[in-house]
Amino acid sequence: MENTENKSFWQKYLKPLVSHKVFTLILLLLGLWIIFSIWANIVGNTFFSLPTMRNILASIVLSSFLTIGAGCLLISGALDLSQAAVGAFGGMVMASAIAGWGLPWYLAILVALALCAVFGAINALLVDKFRFPAFIATLSMSYMAKGLMYLFSSLGSATGTAQNIQFMKPPVIQLLGTGNLSKSIPVLKDIPVGVVVMLIFFIIYGVIMSKTTFGKKVVLMGGNRYAAHLAGINSSAITYILFINSAVLGGVSGIFNSAKLGQGQLLALQTNQFTGITAAILGGISFGGGAGGMGGAFIGLLILNTFQIGMSTVKVNPFWINVFTGILLLVALSFDFFARLRAGQKTARQAREAK
Amino acid sequence: MSNSLEFRGISKLYPGVRALDDISFKAEGGRVLALLGENGAGKSTLLKIMSGDQRPDEGEVLINETPVSFVNPQAAISAGISVIYQERQLMSAMSVMENLFPGALPKNKFGLFDKRKLYSDALAIIEKFGLPIDPTEKVGRLNVAYQQMVEIMKAYRRNSDIIAFDEPTAPLTDAEITILFKVIRELKEEGKVIIYVSHRMAEIFQITDDIVVMKDGKLVRQFKTAETNEAELIQAMVGRDIGDTYSNLSRCTERGDVVLEVKNLKTPYVRDVSFTVRKGEVVGLAGLVGAGRTEVARALFGADPVTGGEILLEGEPVKFKSPRDAIAAGVALCPEDRKEQGLVLGRTIQDNIVMPVVDKVTKYGKIVDRNRMSELARAAVSKYSIKTPSIDKVVVELSGGNQQKVILGRWTSEEMTTKLLILDEPTKGIDVGTKAEIYQTVCDLAKTGIGVIIISSELTEVINLADNIIVMHNGHVTGTVTREEATEESVLAMAMLD
Repeated sequence: MENTENKSFWQKYLKPLVSHKVFTLILLLLGLWIIFSIWANIVGNTFFSLPTMRNILASIVLSSFLTIGAGCLLISGALDLSQAAVGAFGGMVMASAIAGWGLPWYLAILVALALCAVFGAINALLVDKFRFPAFIATLSMSYMAKGLMYLFSSLGSATGTAQNIQFMKPPVIQLLGTGNLSKSIPVLKDIPVGVVVMLIFFIIYGVIMSKTTFGKKVVLMGGNRYAAHLAGINSSAITYILFINSAVLGGVSGIFNSAKLGQGQLLALQTNQFTGITAAILGGISFGGGAGGMGGAFIGLLILNTFQIGMSTVKVNPFWINVFTGILLLVALSFDFFARLRAGQKTARQAREAK
Repeated sequence: MSNSLEFRGISKLYPGVRALDDISFKAEGGRVLALLGENGAGKSTLLKIMSGDQRPDEGEVLINETPVSFVNPQAAISAGISVIYQERQLMSAMSVMENLFPGALPKNKFGLFDKRKLYSDALAIIEKFGLPIDPTEKVGRLNVAYQQMVEIMKAYRRNSDIIAFDEPTAPLTDAEITILFKVIRELKEEGKVIIYVSHRMAEIFQITDDIVVMKDGKLVRQFKTAETNEAELIQAMVGRDIGDTYSNLSRCTERGDVVLEVKNLKTPYVRDVSFTVRKGEVVGLAGLVGAGRTEVARALFGADPVTGGEILLEGEPVKFKSPRDAIAAGVALCPEDRKEQGLVLGRTIQDNIVMPVVDKVTKYGKIVDRNRMSELARAAVSKYSIKTPSIDKVVVELSGGNQQKVILGRWTSEEMTTKLLILDEPTKGIDVGTKAEIYQTVCDLAKTGIGVIIISSELTEVINLADNIIVMHNGHVTGTVTREEATEESVLAMAMLD
């Protein structure tokens, strides 16, 4: 058994910290910062500065909600490809609820999120009840959401064509979309309100996933869904909660997009179908489920965007940025792969030594 | 020239440990050699060296007196070695004939694959073995025994002179084992070298000619099967005399009230199943694979739908819609397939132990109480002497026996109120020493007033461990006997009754 008294400070506190996956990710992030700072200097640009950091934080707001939703689902062993499309749909609904129906901002948001939740519930129904693979169910749903969004946006137009829906931003929406923190606080000034909301979300979800019984059940279910079922874990309920959560967070992302632009945009989140999943995986959430957390997902997202912004700061041809992002993902996953390989060898050795 | 396979001074080193230490023995053609040893004795490593999966660090392998060394499994196959693993390596969506000729599909004069020739070639092999298998049937639709036969025929088709079986009977029913043994005897007649790895004593005496006992990577002793007995073998395997496992058990003699009463239970898989379990009683469900024992267990646990009859738990009729309901009512199941259905292999011992009680191990509402969690895990580790340095060990790293103890720990933690514990094949793939421990644990649990149902395909195990034995065949109960009355013959007769 464990003997806590005999452990040195290193063993007791530092070793678990250092061997934690998030620690490696933070090192990777710092490494990127150093590389880009030096590289930017060489090409006569600056990377290491407050504005850059702020830019990076601001650039991840939209994808952060997607990452949280995708991360929770991935931990449970499922995935959602419809998030971004459902989110765009939600953003469109909010815009037209304000512009067309004249709803107050809170009702507009509520209606948008509720409709997103319906998509999530259908995803869950398909996966849980009808046993569709999540990949197929949510891929279909992403097409449906996209089509419905176009239909929806064409309803109000005289010509019947799909269009971006402009709306007058109520103050709260304005604040969410483009507001900054108070100018009076020196370091924090100019930090977008969206960043603050994002951080709050990460903290709340971080606590839920790592500290609560719900989070524990999600991880166990992700590790072995059937065994979890046979141990009395209500995996159906969890599936519904997580799919709805993913869709609603997609909606939050869509709403932020609309709030920023002042319009429900047809192309909203178009490039984000895989961003959430990518960031989550980059952040150490295992693709098969059963491992990972929100802290990692957050760092993963930071790495992804640091990389992209860094690349453009050092004036790499934008076309190459995607190529390198792909390589980054492979490198990050190979870390995971080698770690598991090492763990496997260690296990085998321990198993033999135990005999 | 007769076939032979010889190991000469084989050692395999893994960092810090000798998985195999100077193993030398010779297996002759026309004889069946049993490789016997507890889990971790090195049998699998030896099979892996045979199959070209691993290379020895010292020593050499000789086939027909000629040293050989394999760079990969393919090389071993071409040298005439086939290892038939428990996990069959068949393409289940393909037909039997395609599986028999992988990479060797006959071609017609246009260079295209010749289905007719494939069919007749496959049929020839199947008829040679006298098996009722249709060559065009998809392998996935065959039962496990016949799937195994396909694997054997594949080895035969490759003209393998050396065939090793890794626990071949584990998934088979007694009738199927008879078929397997018939085939093995035929292969033996043809002068092939047969290596047979199994935990089951009865089979060893039935089918083998020579026995090599291994322990901790070393060869302990070699026996001629005809000149030894079970006690001697067990002693060689565990290095100590464990005596008669069953007669040394300290059993529960007190019988309390009826915990479970099953009346004419009907599910899509079983019918007319009735029996009772009392507090402190161990009831065994015996029968061949497919008799419906697991299905009864699953129905009692709410994992399969009940379509008729009644289940009374402590006199109260219950209807479980899911395992969740059953657990809440005090019914627990250790499923047949530990790794697939029992454990979350990638998580720690404590996570696996608190699984059904996560919602109870809390503070401030919904926050997981880690101290309480580790308390429960530590209790289980010490109660069942689970061999692990820490409760944070990931269960995939534990041996089969310790994994089983983790599941037992899960259902008997302080937060659980288990009244009825169902153990489905609790000792499957577990070595002799740990088996005895699990048997005693079962009796100890019965002493705490739990009613226990035990399902096992090892007849000896059920009839010696259970106080009452319910025998099933083809989805219904064909007889009930007490331990005192039960003999292997009588129970088997009821299990095969039509």
